[in-house]
Amino acid sequence: MALLSVENVTKRYGKTVAVDDVTFEAQPGRILGLLGPNGAGKTSTIRMITYITVPDEGQILFEDRPVGPWSQEQMGYLPEERGLYKKLKVGEQLLYLAELKGLARSTAKERIRYWLDRFDATEWHDMKTEELSKGMQQKVQFIATILPEPRLVILDEPFSGLDPINSSLLKDIVLELKEDGRTILFASHRMEQVEQLCDDICLMSNGKIVLNGALRAIKKRFGKDSILMEFDGDDAFLDALEAEGTIRVTNRSLHRAELRLLDGTPGRRVLEAALAHVDDLYRFQLTEPPMSEIFVSVVGEDAREQLSTDGAPAVAAA
Amino acid sequence: MSKIWIILKSEFLRRVTSKWFIIITLLAPVLLVALLFIPGLVTVIASGGDETTVAVIDETGVLLPRLQAEAGDDFTFTASELSQEALRDSVMAGAVDGYLYLPPQVLDGEGGATYYSAEGGGLSFGMRLTRTVSDAVEQERLQAQQVPDEVLQIIETNVDVDLVKLTEEGEEEDATLAYTIVGYVMGFFIYMSVFIYGAIVMQGVIEEKTSRVVEVVVSSVRPFQLLMGKVLGIGAMGLVQLITWAALIGVGMTFAGTIMALFLNPADLGLSADASQQAMLEAADITIPSVPPGLFIWFILFFLGGYLLYASLYAAIGSAVEQQQDAQTLQLPIALLVIVPILFIGFIVESPNSTLSVVMSLIPFFAPILMIVRVAVTDVAFWQVGLSYLLLIGTFIGSIWISSRIYRIGILMYGKKPSLKDLAKWVRYA
Repeated sequence: MALLSVENVTKRYGKTVAVDDVTFEAQPGRILGLLGPNGAGKTSTIRMITYITVPDEGQILFEDRPVGPWSQEQMGYLPEERGLYKKLKVGEQLLYLAELKGLARSTAKERIRYWLDRFDATEWHDMKTEELSKGMQQKVQFIATILPEPRLVILDEPFSGLDPINSSLLKDIVLELKEDGRTILFASHRMEQVEQLCDDICLMSNGKIVLNGALRAIKKRFGKDSILMEFDGDDAFLDALEAEGTIRVTNRSLHRAELRLLDGTPGRRVLEAALAHVDDLYRFQLTEPPMSEIFVSVVGEDAREQLSTDGAPAVAAA
Repeated sequence: MSKIWIILKSEFLRRVTSKWFIIITLLAPVLLVALLFIPGLVTVIASGGDETTVAVIDETGVLLPRLQAEAGDDFTFTASELSQEALRDSVMAGAVDGYLYLPPQVLDGEGGATYYSAEGGGLSFGMRLTRTVSDAVEQERLQAQQVPDEVLQIIETNVDVDLVKLTEEGEEEDATLAYTIVGYVMGFFIYMSVFIYGAIVMQGVIEEKTSRVVEVVVSSVRPFQLLMGKVLGIGAMGLVQLITWAALIGVGMTFAGTIMALFLNPADLGLSADASQQAMLEAADITIPSVPPGLFIWFILFFLGGYLLYASLYAAIGSAVEQQQDAQTLQLPIALLVIVPILFIGFIVESPNSTLSVVMSLIPFFAPILMIVRVAVTDVAFWQVGLSYLLLIGTFIGSIWISSRIYRIGILMYGKKPSLKDLAKWVRYA
């Protein structure tokens, strides 16, 4: 039985269709990645799941019951646009937000102590929120999200603005939550950041679901048509191959390149070219394409543009 | 319901424990009293400390001693043998403040006296001088006619007219002026509080929206609960402030008599030196109004009703914008609704029972200010107050419904600045 099922949900704002007949499920104890470029309809979908807005058509079930105020207490939501009460002390803030989720004061206080300790932030308890740095505030908000021990944890762009140390701390805790039997819904346009964490994937584009299923199955379906290589020396041979139309370079830096084989080009064709040109080759791996490449394959070459623009989020509509 | 309570409590405690709240709550009455009494005090000090020396050219030959007897603390009249030209010079030189010229005809009731000074003197100075001179002339002329003492006494008698108000419970001492003041104060207080507390509600909504914390909150509670909790929490803060002030004013009133009595001299009032404070205040015609409990209860009720009605509208407007300045145009219609009753207060005080007054005080948007003024200055039939309050509450329910529909859309809407038309559209959204 799915913990959460979104069934044929449509949401319009005026004339624009933000979410168009979307259907997917979140299985208990698994991590679901809701991926897609900005403006794909991820946040609109999440707002309906969290009962902030209601669908124009279709329905959303949590444990087979339509979502409502009751289900809000079972969900923890970290919105993409972070925000806290600036003037409140961290302890008061966490207590207030936990009480709004229906938590008893005494329980909340205990957990606040535990989590602040866990994040090495005990001394923040009596500090005003506005005195904390951005990164510290992010941690506070993450604590606020998981403090009520929600059954479904919804994290919208959880890694944006986090440094590598905090990113890996967050990943550890997410995996711990999963271990603990909680269901996690990630939403992100930075697919490479979350795909390794996800069990299931739901790709969205222009309000529609374009691909949906278990990560492993999807990766398998697209096969190993990508190459990851690390080397020293001249990389002009890549341009030559690309000009021939046999490969497309998807990611490239000084000593590293990711590329996709086109039209059934065999991997050894690239290997031979590389050996002929580079000084040293450390790594050459035939691999599955990254999720962003799969997204492009499904939606079409036009989508590449959408993915690379990491601009301002679309105007958040109610 | 419990969610509304949690929000109410948090909003309330957050505010009443702030340094500013405590300072303003305790200091406002002090400032108010200062504001009311300083001008009076300044006048007293200014006139009392500044005796005017007046040289008198008395061509009647008899008025000067009478003037000196009447002079009191304000004037010192001195005889002068100098010519007008010489006196002019000494006025300009500052040797005397001014000189008074009394021609012989003043005793015949023809012509008047003339006062020459460098500064002119001012309105109240002129009145005091006129009174002093008139009294002296009057006494001199009466004596010249050999009016017997009995007649003089009759002329000096003043008849006080006591105003007594008839009520259902019998008669009571009328204190029209005092209750007019009470009415004005209460009306203005509600007017001010609608603006100030309304602005606090709006500010709170804007802060929650721009800090983006609102999205987390509405993933836990319904927008309506958030709106109500906020409005009620700030309302509770206002109520605490109001009751604190009322208590402080009550204490002030209790001691006001004692304080005023300190400034009164029993002998001046024709009372014996050991006269009671009560007797002195009565003789001095000072009434310290006591606010009847019924009026105070209606005041609290209309304060709450008016606050709720307007605060819900201010919250809706706050939800639609991202900063205070953008709210200007949207809040104009509300501000007009609050200002209209202020224009009518004067009329209501003059004729509290006219048809226009009754109608105006029944209109829900005006009722919080105008009905309380009427209740203060006259006996309003219970059905009128009751009906007015019911209409007010009914309108509040309607306005909170509309506001919550605007609010739930507005708090998540960023970017474009909406117009009133947009707000109307949001109300109709599903």
